[in-house]
Amino acid sequence: MLRSARSLLTILAITAVVAACGPSQTAAPSGAPAAPAGAPTYGGTVTIPIVADPTLNPWSPNAFVESLFVNRILFDGLTKPGKDLAPAADLAQSWTTSADGLSWTFKLRSGVKWSDGQPFSADDVAFTFNDIVLKPDLGAQNRGNFSAVKSVTAVDPTTVRFDLSRKFSALASYLAYNAGIVPKHVLQADPLKTNSFNKGTPVSTGPYKVEKYTSGQSVSLVRNDSYFGPKPYLDRVVFTVVPDANTQIAQALSGDISIMILDDKAAVSRVKSSTDLAVVSRPLVQYYWLALNQTDPRFTDVKVRQAFVQAIDRKAIIDSVEHGYGSVANSAITPALKAYYDPSLSSKYPYDPEAAKKLLGQAGWTPGPNGVLQKDGKPFQFTMDVGQKGILEPVNALIQQDLKKVGVVADLNPMEWNAYIQKVVVQRNYTATVNWWTYPSDPDVFPYYASSAAGKGFNIPGYKDPKLDDLLTQGQTAADLAQRKAVYKQVQSYMADTLPYLFLWYPEEVDVVSSSLKGVPDLGLRDAVQYIGEWWLAKK
Amino acid sequence: MIVFVSALTFFFVNLAPGGPASVMRFDVTAEQRDALIHEMGLDRPVVERYADWLGGALRGDLGTSLLTNEPVAQRIADRLPNTLLLAGAALLLSIVVGIPMGVLQAVRRNSWLDHALTALSALGLSVPVFWLGIVLILLFAVTWHVLPSAGIASVGKDSLGDRLAHLVLPASVLASTVLPTVVRFTRSSMVDVLVQDYLRTATSKGLAPAAVVFGHGLRNALIPVTSAIGALAPRLLGGTVVTEAVFSWPGMGRLALEAANGRDYPLVVGVAVVVAAIAVVSSLIVDLVVARLDPRVVG
Amino acid sequence: MSRIAVLSAIVLVAVVACAVAGPLVWRVDPIATDPAHALAAPSAAHPAGTDEIGRDVLSRLLYGAQLTLLVGLAAMLAALVLGTFVGAVAGFYGGWVDALLMRLTDAMLAVPAFFLILVVVTVAGTGASTLVLVIGGLSWMPVARVVYGETRRWRVAEFVVAAESLGATAARVLARHILPQAVPSLIVSATLGVAYAILTESAVSYLGLGIRPPTPSWGNMLQQAQQYLFTEPSLALYPGAAITVVVLAFNFLGDGLRDALDPRTRTRR
Repeated sequence: MLRSARSLLTILAITAVVAACGPSQTAAPSGAPAAPAGAPTYGGTVTIPIVADPTLNPWSPNAFVESLFVNRILFDGLTKPGKDLAPAADLAQSWTTSADGLSWTFKLRSGVKWSDGQPFSADDVAFTFNDIVLKPDLGAQNRGNFSAVKSVTAVDPTTVRFDLSRKFSALASYLAYNAGIVPKHVLQADPLKTNSFNKGTPVSTGPYKVEKYTSGQSVSLVRNDSYFGPKPYLDRVVFTVVPDANTQIAQALSGDISIMILDDKAAVSRVKSSTDLAVVSRPLVQYYWLALNQTDPRFTDVKVRQAFVQAIDRKAIIDSVEHGYGSVANSAITPALKAYYDPSLSSKYPYDPEAAKKLLGQAGWTPGPNGVLQKDGKPFQFTMDVGQKGILEPVNALIQQDLKKVGVVADLNPMEWNAYIQKVVVQRNYTATVNWWTYPSDPDVFPYYASSAAGKGFNIPGYKDPKLDDLLTQGQTAADLAQRKAVYKQVQSYMADTLPYLFLWYPEEVDVVSSSLKGVPDLGLRDAVQYIGEWWLAKK
Repeated sequence: MIVFVSALTFFFVNLAPGGPASVMRFDVTAEQRDALIHEMGLDRPVVERYADWLGGALRGDLGTSLLTNEPVAQRIADRLPNTLLLAGAALLLSIVVGIPMGVLQAVRRNSWLDHALTALSALGLSVPVFWLGIVLILLFAVTWHVLPSAGIASVGKDSLGDRLAHLVLPASVLASTVLPTVVRFTRSSMVDVLVQDYLRTATSKGLAPAAVVFGHGLRNALIPVTSAIGALAPRLLGGTVVTEAVFSWPGMGRLALEAANGRDYPLVVGVAVVVAAIAVVSSLIVDLVVARLDPRVVG
Repeated sequence: MSRIAVLSAIVLVAVVACAVAGPLVWRVDPIATDPAHALAAPSAAHPAGTDEIGRDVLSRLLYGAQLTLLVGLAAMLAALVLGTFVGAVAGFYGGWVDALLMRLTDAMLAVPAFFLILVVVTVAGTGASTLVLVIGGLSWMPVARVVYGETRRWRVAEFVVAAESLGATAARVLARHILPQAVPSLIVSATLGVAYAILTESAVSYLGLGIRPPTPSWGNMLQQAQQYLFTEPSLALYPGAAITVVVLAFNFLGDGLRDALDPRTRTRR
């Protein structure tokens, strides 16, 4: 009762604001959230759940996934992901590359101000990179993405030049990925550990600025009056800290949450039954994989890897664990990267246990007395380390059963997440494990596959292949889009043949959106927040 | 005792596999990892770090959280009042509901009401706390929309009524872990008192039953009940861990969970020290209350 | 003994019988997956339906009962052994041993167990054996107090003093003469201890720190079922109800035994 009375009050309040804003009284018919059927109106509050207190500094090593949302609204980068995911202008208006590809010059928007009224300039960009990202002892988040950058120079207040040590055609895309520019005049003394900034009211350039940070409860944002772009429609954007997934869903159902990512796809049918909520889904720049440690001689044989990928019923994993939201993967380039993705590979390895057995036989594995394959008298048995997070546990259980059907014994070793990372990623002390990669909206996946990253970087299986290295380097140095497309088509088919990781599937993101929320672009929610100035609330 | 707890926790938690969450992430390179570990001073020996910590703690400095870089004392100060509010509300509820229920059962002992309430208490002790919490959220927040499902206050609508509405479900769920014990103790100690001679005398002198029960009986019956409630304080505090997880309540329990999962060593130790201190203080308070109630316990 | 306690005993015997004999009768592998029949409604093939990856819920409940009961009983035994040892030693020797051990007991009683469990499980890793040790290690104090009281009480009894003067060792005196006196109270403590251990296991599993899947326990089944609360509440209903019933039965049985074994409460009834 309390609640409904209060939401009635809210509606009245919103109506009052809308009325005060003049003649824009045309009621918006409810429909798909992205279709601005009525004219946008000013006012209202949008509430988005996050799972923990955010750290409001895009470069802090403590800025975990819950911080992304907020930081992407607060801190503009030089570029941002366009609605087609290609890099688009943000703080930079345009950019050019030198003939040798080793120097990029960005022309900055003029007249931009920080939320405290101070002018923004090329010095802030140079500071962000030279004094934070490129300082090895700070260990800034995502600094690995900019390993090609040598230095950044402020040529004049609105021009900035990036000097590279090698060609890096993905630079503009990477600058759109969690690379917000932070204010030199505030963070000069302590770039990553200024608490009044990270956990308080940071100085920022985005359409909204922090109004209040309440630890353990919420971070509320209000319009930034010094924002360079058009005035955003919403009065407030509130991030509430709700760690429990069920509680998030309960709050969405009770109308306390405007928009959220539904990690828990099992609840889709329940959410769909609510008339106040819409459910939308779209591919992510993400893929799940099974890494087979290449220091284990059993897994260096490509026939074994190809056999495994046919033994695992990936479609069944998508249908059960992901409730159908995903598609089978055979390379690292995801369907979200429409310009590069090669759909013809999707049917390369259908589920076929018989073919898998045959391949394993060719690799010298023959059935033993109890149906378990063996070679030189040793059974095909190994341990899969399972990180206890998200859907990894049921996925591993399914893979274990699928492998059992072709005579391979995989023992599951579930581990608490932190200990799992220590064992698998830091020590590389594992035989097989399932996980996923999310990467910037660009097909340059060099860091995850390069031989030089085997054993210490992001190359988890420790796969080394000079031909793949060469292809990926060609992608980084490609002169134009047509050439890049051609290179990454080759990369995909070569990956599908050689299976450096066993590609499992490309997941889709499912978003739950209040039907009164309009103007949200058709992007993953973490990208769509970069267009929050276009969001608006229709009168109910 | 508190120093002992701090040392034990400090060395113990440093044995845990893994490291601070900022280091133990998938998308951090080995080079970044080394830089961060050096930055946080985690490449120094544990004994040296503990000596540093203890030196600071004696001056009131509990160190800096590895996960947020805020002072540990401040992070705890942010959350402690919320936990005390939750635990206090649950305790109050248990007393306000539990003692009259126990008295009622004692007065009407062996009636159907007594048996029904006994069964209810037993049920309360047997239902998993988180399960009860989830069911209540489903009923009160999702189906009937009468109470908020989680959190401590609505954003922008922060008022006393709003805070109370947020408190109802978590406090009730937490109370379910101690209420049955309060009822049980009240009942049995009230029964003990009611069969004693001086009460029979009071009744035979013609005093009204209510006056007998409340005037003479309750005061004496409350002494063991108060000790029992004191013994329940740790259980109440421990219960906040799960309750806070279910209701997204920003308290110490959730902080402890975050700290342990994220290997925030100074924060884990800080929480342990504060919780131990609360345990010590609350048992002192109970001793004092018992002394006030019972004239025989003096000095 | 009260009717409800007898009924509880019958329920518990039935549950144990199901846990032991169930998997022999209902021969379905609890970890065999069948994603094509995920979240299936109850049928002849799956009397309690299937979970999100098509595992048979009935089979998981039966195997889960084994593990849950085993963890509960083992943790109780650990607590019993530890508590008896501490209580008996403290009560028998008195003096500084008594002071030290009983201070430790009081201190442990004052510590909110759940905060400690959290730290220990994070360090020692998850798993059945860790859980048993942790729960046992944090719930021995009431046992210690009971045994301590009984030991103090019988320490000065004539037959104990006589046995001692005949040259019996301390261990023998404790084992043959003193501890048997404490058995009734210990039975009650043990019964209530199992209830506590089962509840704790489920709560720890709820926080994701308990028995490791895919091995089923009622606690981790509940945790996994959480995801399906809005769509398949029955997945959470079965293990939740199972825990409640078993814990309730242990509690009733414990109370009934207390009334039956303790002459003081019996006369009052």
